[in-house]
Amino acid sequence: MDLLKWFEVRGKSLFYISYSLHRITGLILVLYLVMHLSYLTSLRFGEEIYESFIATTVTPTFLIFDILLVLVGVYHGVNGLRLILHEFGLAYDVRRPILYLSYFLVLVLWLYASYKLYVFIVGV
Amino acid sequence: MENKDKSNMGRDVIFRIKRFDGEKSYWSDFVVPAQKGMTVLEGLYYIKGTYDGSLSFRASCRMGICGSCAMKINDKPRLACETQILQLNSSKIKIEPLDNFRVLKDLITDFEGFFAKHEAVKPYLIRKDDNYAEPVELIQKPEELHAYYDFTLCIKCGACFSVCPAAATRDDYLGPAAMAAAYRFNIDTRDEGRDERMFMVCSDVGVWRCHFAAECSEVCPKNIEPAKAIQKLRFQAAVHMIKKALKRW
Ligand code: SF4
Ligand code: FES
Repeated sequence: MDLLKWFEVRGKSLFYISYSLHRITGLILVLYLVMHLSYLTSLRFGEEIYESFIATTVTPTFLIFDILLVLVGVYHGVNGLRLILHEFGLAYDVRRPILYLSYFLVLVLWLYASYKLYVFIVGV
Repeated sequence: MENKDKSNMGRDVIFRIKRFDGEKSYWSDFVVPAQKGMTVLEGLYYIKGTYDGSLSFRASCRMGICGSCAMKINDKPRLACETQILQLNSSKIKIEPLDNFRVLKDLITDFEGFFAKHEAVKPYLIRKDDNYAEPVELIQKPEELHAYYDFTLCIKCGACFSVCPAAATRDDYLGPAAMAAAYRFNIDTRDEGRDERMFMVCSDVGVWRCHFAAECSEVCPKNIEPAKAIQKLRFQAAVHMIKKALKRW
């Protein structure tokens, strides 16, 4: 019962929604980390296996997942910095502008990173 | 007359109330003829007097002071006595008991644990020179008073606790109101009990459970900003714990 409450989004404000997104993106990043480490571990079974994994995933088809993953990472990082700032007892009174600013930063960083990824994988 | 201000006119509003009879929960709908200025609490009294005497809710002061009438109104915790029906702008009003509290009957929830948490943080002045036989006046400057004044306005309504995600998953978490009270006394220049209070504040049911969803500040009917108090308290707690560790070392 308590575990299910973990997934409830009770609050209506952007603060609470950001908090819930922080939790969800955190979970996604943990799952990704496990996948990522499994990937690297495949090196132990031979370079060819690793290379074949790379050949499958570092492709234009997988680009959309990479871009989404970057969004998740950027959101979790930027929002995390915002939380750290407030949890030091700082800047509480300007928490609303800082919240909006953090979303703006997420958008800018995400678009920039996605562009770089696109250039890297597809080429211009 | 045609020129009547529309907002002045009364209209029927449906109260959809979540009930609980000790075993099962269900919804009841009642029609309330709402007038301008009529509060949700008055609507509940109307229902109790007109349709169903068994409808249970808590209220006392009817003026936002006692903190007993907090309930979820249209999905947001509010004081029923300070929420005007027509200002909600809906033809149907959903009323539920507060989340994160055990429901006893209808809209009445169990506040024992909430008050016990409050007590646990020692929300009173602690002085080494307490002498009730010969009390001395404790002088304070206006700016020292203003530092904590807002936090004294808490009416223990439980709205903050009901939206707190940390309280949702841990029953024993102290919660925003208790920690705001701890902070209020910690920064009172007359107080000498910070160390005693910090024992609870730094424990695993204290400040470290807060992850700044900050919804408590959004719903607090007295705007006392409990989220602010907790973050400031967190900093105090960090300093306190580092000092303690250094002393031991
Ligand atoms: S801090 Fe605000 S919401 Fe919480 S109990 Fe006090 S008055 Fe109610
Ligand atoms: S009845 Fe006292 S606060 Fe509403």
